[in-house]
Amino acid sequence: MKRYWTWPIAIYLFLGGLGGAILFLAMCLYFMAFPIELFIAPIIVSLLALGVGCFFLVFELGQPTVFYRVFLRPTAIIMWGATLLSIALIASFLLLISYWEPFAMLAGARVPLLVVSGISGAAIMVYTGVLLASLKAHPFWSTPALPILFFVSALSTGCAAHSLSVGKLLESNPELVERALGIFHSVDTGLIVFELMIVGIYLGLLIGAGNVVAKKAALKWVKGDFSLAFWLGLVACGLVIPLVFYLMGSEALGVLAAVLVLIGGLILRFLVVWTNDMMLIKGQQKYHDRLPKGDEKFLQIYKEHAEPRYE
Amino acid sequence: MTRLVMIMDQTRCIGCHSCTVACRTWNDLPMDITYNPVVSEGVKGVFPNVHENWLPLICMHCENPPCVPCCPTGASMQEEDGTVWIDSAKCMGCKVCINACPYSSRDSSHMVPRLEQYARKCTFCKDERDVDPDFTPYCVKTCHQKARIFGDLDDPNSEVSKIINSVETVRLLEELGTDPQVYYIPNRGGQL
Repeated sequence: MKRYWTWPIAIYLFLGGLGGAILFLAMCLYFMAFPIELFIAPIIVSLLALGVGCFFLVFELGQPTVFYRVFLRPTAIIMWGATLLSIALIASFLLLISYWEPFAMLAGARVPLLVVSGISGAAIMVYTGVLLASLKAHPFWSTPALPILFFVSALSTGCAAHSLSVGKLLESNPELVERALGIFHSVDTGLIVFELMIVGIYLGLLIGAGNVVAKKAALKWVKGDFSLAFWLGLVACGLVIPLVFYLMGSEALGVLAAVLVLIGGLILRFLVVWTNDMMLIKGQQKYHDRLPKGDEKFLQIYKEHAEPRYE
Repeated sequence: MTRLVMIMDQTRCIGCHSCTVACRTWNDLPMDITYNPVVSEGVKGVFPNVHENWLPLICMHCENPPCVPCCPTGASMQEEDGTVWIDSAKCMGCKVCINACPYSSRDSSHMVPRLEQYARKCTFCKDERDVDPDFTPYCVKTCHQKARIFGDLDDPNSEVSKIINSVETVRLLEELGTDPQVYYIPNRGGQL
């Protein structure tokens, strides 16, 4: 069957989760008595991630000229995602410009802005998974484990992005940065173990107890078309090697581990978006496989220029 | 109240694809879109007693359509008579409804200009029914085997309600809770 959501959506799901997780973690660490100034660079990264994600989302639309209609029906998951993205973008942008001289009057509102962007960031992390999990036509996506997997993966990539960029601007108290780095490394280690567990349960349950379509899709990851990307890309490069690097504890390896976690998060989104196996009615697949491919352009031009025969 | 439904009589369908052609001709569909494919369930039986089951597919116009609440723009709508349609001017082409439909009844074409790739689907020929309420869709009109029957389920005297209330019918992927409103009279190879 045709694949309607491709790389823009995969990148958007990754960037949305990443940006949301950075904002959420910044809020959490602020309440653990770290100054907001420490997180200026991560929040810039998050703003860029959310902005680029939004660009891909609009770029992918079929009729981008009416994109503003996305806010019109509250039963739609996408409407909530767009609203939360807008809130997070606006709040974190205001938080950032409050450090710029002409907008110094916003300085008093930094904490509420951080809280608003942190909470909407957490909701964005969940939303990226719920968007796919709400589509019950896709048995591989519509499991409650997918939002949890995406949430944990997003938090893990958020930790990695924080540990790469924390304290790079404004605040440079090395002791505080060191403490924050320690927290991010230990939290990320735990999250990677948790993510490995969820991936195992997710695939194991779908293979063992899922319906035919979900089982086939999950087997594609374990020993089918996507097995190389899954075992080498996600499990080895994205989870196990960073885990080992974090546990070894050296600073250079920590940076490498964070980069690998980010790559692993991207690979996970691509794998999930590419596994779009649908509930199939018997014979439907065969019908679509047998349709002639590649003649559409010729036929379209022929149809436009041919003499009308029956008028 | 009216509830427009369709009945596919698999015992009559011979797999000629007339309905597919009639639909794409009258609705002037782009080349890469088919609203109503006729798929084969495969050959059954042992020679010489074999038969092939044809399964004409179409939008099921579900009573509980998964494609309507997931549409953020309000372009995907369900009418009073139960039919589901898309207002192409309102659709922004996010393709979430295409992914939500378990029957693959929705599609968006790549053969149209880049900024007009809205989702499309069968509407039981809504534009014709708006002009003439008694209009039957082109796929039903063209079916020379009378394998497609179209009508109002809430009218007790209509052909569809008589058939559905007297003959055993099945519906596709009923377990998903979509309450599809296209009924199939299964072909049991000449046996009841």
